[in-house]
Amino acid sequence: MSAALEGIRVIDLTVWFQGPVAAQHLADFGAEVIKVERPQGGDQGRGVRSIKALPVGDWNQYFLVINRNKQSVALDLKKPAGREVMYRLVEKSDVFLSNMGVELLESWDLGYEKLSSINPRLVYATNTGYGRFGAVTKPSFDMTVQALTGIMARLGEPGQPPIYLGMGSGDAYGGLMSALGILLALYHRNRTGRGQMIDASLYGAQLFLAASTLQKYLAGGQAEHAKQQSRKAAPNPLRNTYATKDRWVFLCLENTDADWSRLCRSLDDQKLAADPRFDSVIKRRQHASELIEWLDRVLAQRSAAEWLTRWRAEGITASRINNLAELADDPQTWENDYFLGTYCEEVQRQVKVRGLPIGLSKTPGAVNSLGPELGQHTEIVLTELLGYTWEQVDELKTQGVIP
Amino acid sequence: MSKALDDVTVLDLTTTFWSSIGTALLADFGARVIRVEDLPKCGPGEHQNGWDCDVELAQRNKLCLAVDLEQESGRAIVRELIPRVDVVVTDWPRARIEQHGFDYASLCVLRPDVIYAHATGFGPKGPDRDLPALDELAAARTGMMPILPQPGQPPVYAGVGQMYTAVMLALGTMLALHHRQATGVGQEVDVSLLAGNMYGASLDVQAFLAMGGERFLHPVSRLDAGNPMSGVLYPSQDGRWVCLTMPDTDRWWPPFAAMMGLDQNDPRFDSHEKRCGENRLELLQVLDHAFRQQPAAHWKQELNRRQLSADVIEEYDYPASDPQALRNRYILELDRPGVGPVKTLGFPIFMSDTPARLNRMAPGVGQHSAEILHDLLEYSEDRIATLIADGVIA
Repeated sequence: MSAALEGIRVIDLTVWFQGPVAAQHLADFGAEVIKVERPQGGDQGRGVRSIKALPVGDWNQYFLVINRNKQSVALDLKKPAGREVMYRLVEKSDVFLSNMGVELLESWDLGYEKLSSINPRLVYATNTGYGRFGAVTKPSFDMTVQALTGIMARLGEPGQPPIYLGMGSGDAYGGLMSALGILLALYHRNRTGRGQMIDASLYGAQLFLAASTLQKYLAGGQAEHAKQQSRKAAPNPLRNTYATKDRWVFLCLENTDADWSRLCRSLDDQKLAADPRFDSVIKRRQHASELIEWLDRVLAQRSAAEWLTRWRAEGITASRINNLAELADDPQTWENDYFLGTYCEEVQRQVKVRGLPIGLSKTPGAVNSLGPELGQHTEIVLTELLGYTWEQVDELKTQGVIP
Repeated sequence: MSKALDDVTVLDLTTTFWSSIGTALLADFGARVIRVEDLPKCGPGEHQNGWDCDVELAQRNKLCLAVDLEQESGRAIVRELIPRVDVVVTDWPRARIEQHGFDYASLCVLRPDVIYAHATGFGPKGPDRDLPALDELAAARTGMMPILPQPGQPPVYAGVGQMYTAVMLALGTMLALHHRQATGVGQEVDVSLLAGNMYGASLDVQAFLAMGGERFLHPVSRLDAGNPMSGVLYPSQDGRWVCLTMPDTDRWWPPFAAMMGLDQNDPRFDSHEKRCGENRLELLQVLDHAFRQQPAAHWKQELNRRQLSADVIEEYDYPASDPQALRNRYILELDRPGVGPVKTLGFPIFMSDTPARLNRMAPGVGQHSAEILHDLLEYSEDRIATLIADGVIA
């Protein structure tokens, strides 16, 4: 079966997560991704030893999954001879992607002007921290940038600490934006023959990630969209989290009279159904806190399984609030290839990895290999793709340009 | 100046904020996106909803065709449009799609190389494939809600899974367009809210798959963080919070210790292993105490001056007035006719030669019906007038 990005070659000069995962999306759909790494240690992601104070175990899933389906070339770009190798690679490639600082790239003479003069068809993509324009140059790790967007400050119960959306949540989004930008530029290039420069910054992506509430705040400046809101005061009590006798559930109804009748029937609570405080859409919103208090009391009396059985019978939309172990066992995730099993060379066994969030019916993505060893493909890329002789390869080794 | 998607026409059958943003991302870069909407429910002059900022974002740069799809003559118009469009995007439930005859197989007959993107709640396969496409429902399944807050707190719904899915919808469509450009072959694209929520949680999900352990199933207190200098929040004197992201503590410790008034040679904390290992909990307590001694403004100034990787947790008023966000067009200031000056989210992707443009504000319902039928299907003005009079289009 053919691949969507067959014939597209990507130079992936990235580290950690946002840049690497952008290239991973392209690699999953068949682009030939060549990851260029410093000879000493490579991508910092290779050095991850613990997560949440737990040891990563016998395989470094952090690096190996993000960099799956890629080749690795180890190259010292601080040396002019290393840059010459890079220029030859640029000549033969469609995309150059980097999440290194713009100043660092310029200092290595790997800026847009230089690379597009070598290959005018090149799509030159960066992941800056805060955008191509403006004065801000401070470090840009995921959570620090998320902190600036304001989204953290509005999550959680009032008085509780702000809430981070999860490890690498912003990088993951920036990576998607970057892949989308690259595809847009490739599509345009295929029609016109001209490459261009694109940037998907961590800040820009994370502002967009907050759209469902930030857009409302931008429109009106009302504090309610910026501050923590208690679940005890949710504007629609019928769409809210509730603690049952044994665990939390998410009730996902509209505040309509039809949904309200269904809920009352399922609760078998005549008093609630008859209470005039709750007998219209507007009143249920006005008396939201009282209604939530009532529902808290009723729902705590039975287990989640009991409620969900009743709710299914009434056609009420609701779900148990799962943990990650339940996600890992959820048949829905496996049947849709959101999780996959794949062979891991490092430990010589099948391992479970996050799979393919985008389905394409005729050119589906695939996980063919996990992340490469540092420099695993240096010699083959230099000799077969770039036409270096073995003598020249030896010379580059002598100079310390490649390991 | 040319646009990236100059030659692409999209038929947009989306019904929600997030799925409509998926097609807006294509419209921002020049695709002609024709949004198909139901006829307005109220009569002329009764429509008084005013300006809706979510609609402004989700429907910008689109054209709108209002058509009654419950009538066969309405559905016939959509079928007639299919040969003129490259991409069809929908978030409709499967049953509704089949009732209307808008499934991939039927549309392929009308246009064999059509790209058909379907956004669902839970994916095209599996026992729950027909559950409603609600972000809350997908988030509840993803396993992150219980571990976002501090111990003892209710689970947290962040509402961002849908935004990952929106971009996946655009990206999946672009992958298919790229393939069609090379081969002439169209195909189906599938994205779901479950996949979007899971992707947003990639690192937690993958770490749990590989490592397992209770620590991924229950909230971890901020004072039990794995690295006291990375991914941790500390309260300052005035109650505002500071967050630190300095994973490589060897690199950051000397200037950071200096800022905190700590001795960088303190034998309890003089190596990464001690800071993140044996004396981790002690360092968390020491920093928690130290940050409480000064207000957030002090820390912000010091962090910036020393170029440390850390910042104060801001609220939405910060990006709303941040020159960096405006300069990069992440946030736009507009003059909306009838509303006045407003701010709206802008464009997260910069392109040097084919930048995103705001060519049109979100259309009114049916604003472009006549234009679309005239330009794409060459309907006469008489025929259009008759369709309006018959209540087929508006």
